[in-house]
Amino acid sequence: MFSWWRTMQESGGLWNSIKIIYRRSDLRVGTLVGEDANGNKYYENLRYQFGRHRFVDYKLKEFDASQVPPEWHGWLHYMTDNPPTKVPPVPRKFHAEHQANWTGTTKDYVPYSTTRPRIQSWIPPTNKQ
Amino acid sequence: MFRISSNLYKACIYRHTPIRYFSAQQPSRAHKYMYVTSHPDYIPMDWKSTMDRNAQTLLLTELITGLMVVIGSMFKEPVTINYPFEKGPLSPRFRGEHALRRYPNGEERCIACKLCEAICPAQAITIEAEEREDGSRRTTRYDIDMTKCIYCGFCQEACPVDAIVEGPNFEYSTETHEELLYNKEKLLNNGDRWEKEIAANIDADFLYR
Amino acid sequence: MLARALLRRVFLPRYNRSLSQSPRLLQVQEAPKLLSVWIDDKMVQVEPGTTVLQACAVAGVEIPRYCYHERLSVAGNCRMCLVEVEKSAKPIASCAMPVMEGMKVHPHSDISKRAREGVMEFLLVNHPLDCPICDQGGECDLQDQSMAFGSDRSRFVDNAFGGKRAVEDKEVGPLIKTIMTRCIHCTRCIRFAGEIAGVQDLGTTGRGGDMQVGTYVEKMFKSELSGNVIDLCPVGALTAKPYAFTYRSWELRRTESIDVLDGVGSNIVVNTRGEHVMRILPRLNESVNEEWISDKTRFAFDGLFAQRLTVPLARDATGQLRSCSWEDVLSRVSGKLVSIQNPANEVVGVAGALADCESMVCLKDLFNKLGSESLYSETPVHIGSCGNDLRSGYILRAGISALEEADLILLVGTNPRYEATLINARIRKGYIHNECEIAVIGPYMDLSYQHEHLGDDPAVFSGMIRGTHPFGKKFSRAAKPVIIVGEGVLARDDGAYINNQIYMLSRLSPVHGSDWKIVNYLHTTASQVGSMDIGYNTADLPDLSSTRLLYLLSADSVDVTRDQLPTDCLVVYQGHHGDKGAHIADVILPGAAYTEKEATYVNTEGRAQVTQAAVKPPGEARDDWSIIRALSEYAGHTLAYDNIDELRERMAEISPTLVNIDTKQDSCFHSLCVELLYRTSPKHKPYQTPISVKLNSLADFYMTDPISRASKTMAQCVQAVKQADKN
Repeated sequence: MFSWWRTMQESGGLWNSIKIIYRRSDLRVGTLVGEDANGNKYYENLRYQFGRHRFVDYKLKEFDASQVPPEWHGWLHYMTDNPPTKVPPVPRKFHAEHQANWTGTTKDYVPYSTTRPRIQSWIPPTNKQ
Repeated sequence: MFRISSNLYKACIYRHTPIRYFSAQQPSRAHKYMYVTSHPDYIPMDWKSTMDRNAQTLLLTELITGLMVVIGSMFKEPVTINYPFEKGPLSPRFRGEHALRRYPNGEERCIACKLCEAICPAQAITIEAEEREDGSRRTTRYDIDMTKCIYCGFCQEACPVDAIVEGPNFEYSTETHEELLYNKEKLLNNGDRWEKEIAANIDADFLYR
Repeated sequence: MLARALLRRVFLPRYNRSLSQSPRLLQVQEAPKLLSVWIDDKMVQVEPGTTVLQACAVAGVEIPRYCYHERLSVAGNCRMCLVEVEKSAKPIASCAMPVMEGMKVHPHSDISKRAREGVMEFLLVNHPLDCPICDQGGECDLQDQSMAFGSDRSRFVDNAFGGKRAVEDKEVGPLIKTIMTRCIHCTRCIRFAGEIAGVQDLGTTGRGGDMQVGTYVEKMFKSELSGNVIDLCPVGALTAKPYAFTYRSWELRRTESIDVLDGVGSNIVVNTRGEHVMRILPRLNESVNEEWISDKTRFAFDGLFAQRLTVPLARDATGQLRSCSWEDVLSRVSGKLVSIQNPANEVVGVAGALADCESMVCLKDLFNKLGSESLYSETPVHIGSCGNDLRSGYILRAGISALEEADLILLVGTNPRYEATLINARIRKGYIHNECEIAVIGPYMDLSYQHEHLGDDPAVFSGMIRGTHPFGKKFSRAAKPVIIVGEGVLARDDGAYINNQIYMLSRLSPVHGSDWKIVNYLHTTASQVGSMDIGYNTADLPDLSSTRLLYLLSADSVDVTRDQLPTDCLVVYQGHHGDKGAHIADVILPGAAYTEKEATYVNTEGRAQVTQAAVKPPGEARDDWSIIRALSEYAGHTLAYDNIDELRERMAEISPTLVNIDTKQDSCFHSLCVELLYRTSPKHKPYQTPISVKLNSLADFYMTDPISRASKTMAQCVQAVKQADKN
C-alpha cells in the first residue's frame, strides 16, 4: 500500500489534496508519461494495482472522458504499452483534430442526407406576360 | 455443539437435498427421506445445542463477523476504476464507434461493394452508390443507424478493403436519437480522427489477419 | 431462290453456319426416331440431333456453361461443358456434340470434374479479382460456377511479378460499359449481334491469350437491341453504363410488369430498391418478346425521375401554373364540366400514347354520362369503313410469334426495326431460320436483314393486283404470306384506300380465307389498340374552335395549340411528365407512370397485359383511373365503380378481351371485316405523296414519348448516334 502521507505531499499539500479529492474522488500520484495537445496529462504508477496504474488528469474543469485523443486513448485503455511519446503515430495528411463528444451543446452533430433527391419535379415555365 | 450447528448449517444450505436421518442408537435399514427445512422439529433441542444457538444470537456473532469483513475491505486498495480518470482495459479488436477509413494518399477506401450492408444482421447500414466523375465506384450515401447497430463487427469482417471499421471509441453517447444516425461525412470524419489508433490496432492484429 | 440462299450463307457471320446443325433443323431432316442415351446410368430418350448438354438437361443434370445459349448458335469455345463420354479418348464439349445411340455420359465422374476445375482455373487466372466493384457481382455465372465447380484453392502465385491479363476497355456507346479484362471470350455478345440484332459490328481479334472481343475499330455498337448483350454476358465484361454502380443484384425487389414505350408490350421485370426503379430487365414470354427487350425499354426509365408532375397545378389569374391541392383542381375542372351547356360538342377528350385502358374506360364513361362522345385517340387510324368496330380489322392478327413461320413478309409504311423492335427481331429470326423473304413499300430503310424494296409509291398495289408487278406473282406463290401495315399508311388521309388495296392484294394469295392471317396492322403506341377496343374515335381531331374543355389523357404528341382553342377553353392535362401536353394545359392532374400503377395495356397483336405497381407514384400523384373517378364524383356524375376490380368488371362489359390477360384471342368476324371493306371501297385515287414511316432512324427511335424524351440516357444515345453517323 502506498503511503497516503507521501501521496499528499506529492500532490501539493493538504489543501491541494482536498481540492483534488473533491474533483476526482481520489488522490493518486505517478510519473508523468506525457501530455497531449489539449494539455491533458497522462500518468503511470506501477505501484498501484494492475489495471489501475494509468490515469489521466484532465486540463479542463469541465472534464469528459471523450477528451482523450486517439493517440493516448489506446495507451490509457491498456491496448498498447507504447505511449505516443515513445512510438508516435504515422503521420497522414488527412488526420483530423480530435473532437470531444459535443452532444447537448450547439456543436453537436446533426444528421443530413448526403444524396440529392432522385425525382425532380417539372417546373412550369414562368409566364412571359 | 459446533458440530451440530454446522451440520444444521449445511442442511440449511443444501435445503433441497434429501438427507438421510437416522438415530445412532437404532441403526436401521428402513431409513426415511425428508426435507430438513420442511421439518423444523429436527432442530436438536438438547441443552447444549439450545445454549449454543441462543449465545450466538445474543452475542451478534454473525453480524460482527460480517462487519469485520467490511472493515477489512476498507483498508484494502479499491479495485473500482475511477472513470474517467482511469479507464478499463480494451482489446485492440474492440468494436466501438464506426469509422470509414482512407488510403494513405487520402482517397476514401469504400468502394460501395455493399457487402457490409448485405451482411448487417440489424440492417443498420444504408448505402447508395454511383459513378464518381473520375469513373470510380463510390458511395453517395453511407448511413449507419447506430441505434440499430448491434456491434457484431460483421461489417468490418465483410469489408474487402478495410474501409468500414469499428473503432476503439465508445464514448459517443448522445442526448438525442438523431445524433446517432451517422451519415457518410460523419463516418469519414470519425475515420480521420481515429485513424492513428485504428491503424495501430490493425497493426497489432497483423498475425491473425 | 438457290442464289439467294447461297448469298445468305455467304453474308452470314461465321457462327451462323453451325446453325444448320442446330437440333431443330436436323430433326426435320431425319426420321423422328428417339435415341437412348445414358446419363449417369440413367437412361433418357431424346430426339436425334439433341446435344449431349440438352440430353443431360432432360435427365435433370445441369452442365455448367458459358458460351452456350439456347437462342444463339453453338460456339463451343468456353470448354466449361466438358463431360466424360465412354469410349471417347478425351472429355467432349457437350454443347456442341450431338448424341449418338447408346452413348454413355458421365457428367459427375472424376474426369468431368477435373476437366471443369481445369477450365475454371484457366478462366480465373485471366480474370481480375474485382468482384466487389463489379456490377455483375451477385448474379455472375463465373462467381456461381467457380463456387460450384471450381477448385477449392488457388495455384496462382504470380500476382507480384507477371500479374494478371489486362485488356484495354472498348468504347461502344453510351449504353454499354465494357471492362474487357473481365471478358472470358464466350462470344455470346458477338453471336447475338450477328444473329439476333443483325449488326455485324462485334468480333474478335487476336488468338489465345491475346484474344480480344471488340468492334475492330473504335465505334458505337449501333443497335436498338444492344442492351441485351448485358444480360447475355456471363461475367461483368459488359454492364449497363447509365446506371453503373448504383445497385447490387441482391438488394433489388422484382416486379413483373409490361413495357409501354412501344406497341409490342414487351414483358419486363422492374427492379426496384426502396422507392426507385433501378433497372429494367426482360421477362421471358415466347409469344411476345422471347427474352429480349429494346434499348428504349431497358434504359429509358431514368426519364421517370425527371420532369415529373408531382403536385396538381392550375393556372392562376396571371396565367402562371401554380401548385395547389387536389380539391382545388378537381373542383375547378368539375365546375367547368357542369357549366357546359352542350357537352356533345364542347367537351373533347384525347387519349395519348401512354394512357392505360382503365383510365380510358373511366374517361369514356364520364364523358358519356355528361353526354359527349368526343373521345379521340391521339394517333388517327384510317382503315376504312370497318373502323374500330371489328377488332380483326386493326390488330396484328397473326400474332408476333407467327411471324417467324411466314415465308414472305411485305412491310407497308412501317419500319419495324424502330417502331416495334422485337417484332423486327422476330422477322429476322424467320429470315435466318426459315428462309423468309421480306419486301418493303416505303422509304429506303436499314432493317438488319436483306429485303426487296418495292418503292414508296402508293400506286404500286394496283400493279400487283393487276399482275403487272412481279411481286404480285411472288405473293400469290407464297405459302404463308404476311402483310404488315404500319402507321405510315394508317395515319395517311388516304389510308382507307391503301388499306382496301392491301386487302385486294391479300386476295391473290391461295391461303386467303384460310386460318393463316395475311393482313396485319402494326401500331406503335401502347394505348392504340386498347383505345380502339374501348371505342375511342380513330378519326382526326375535329375542329376545336367551339371546344370549352379539352381533356388530354397523357396526350403529348397531339397536334393542338392554344391558337386553335377558344380563350375560355379549359385544357386539362392528366399525365406524369411535363411534356408538350402540360405546356398548353390550364390544369394539370399528376398521374402515375407505368411502373407506378396496375394498369392494362393492349399490344399491337391484341394481347391485353397488366403492368404492376413496382413503386409508388411520386409526391401527390395518383393512379390515373382514380383521378377520373374522383373527378366524376366532383362533377356529380359518380362512376359506378369504387375499386379496380369493379372497374375491371366494367371493362369486361365493354370488351372481354381487355380483361383476358396475357392471351391473344383469335380475332373473329374477319370475313365480315373484309366484306365491309370491299363493299364500301373508297373511290378516290390515292394521293401522290410517297408512303413514309414513323421512325426511320436509330436517332428517332430513342425518343418517342414523354418518358424517353425526359431520359438523359436516351438523349445521350441520340447524341452518340448522330456523332457516329457524322463520322
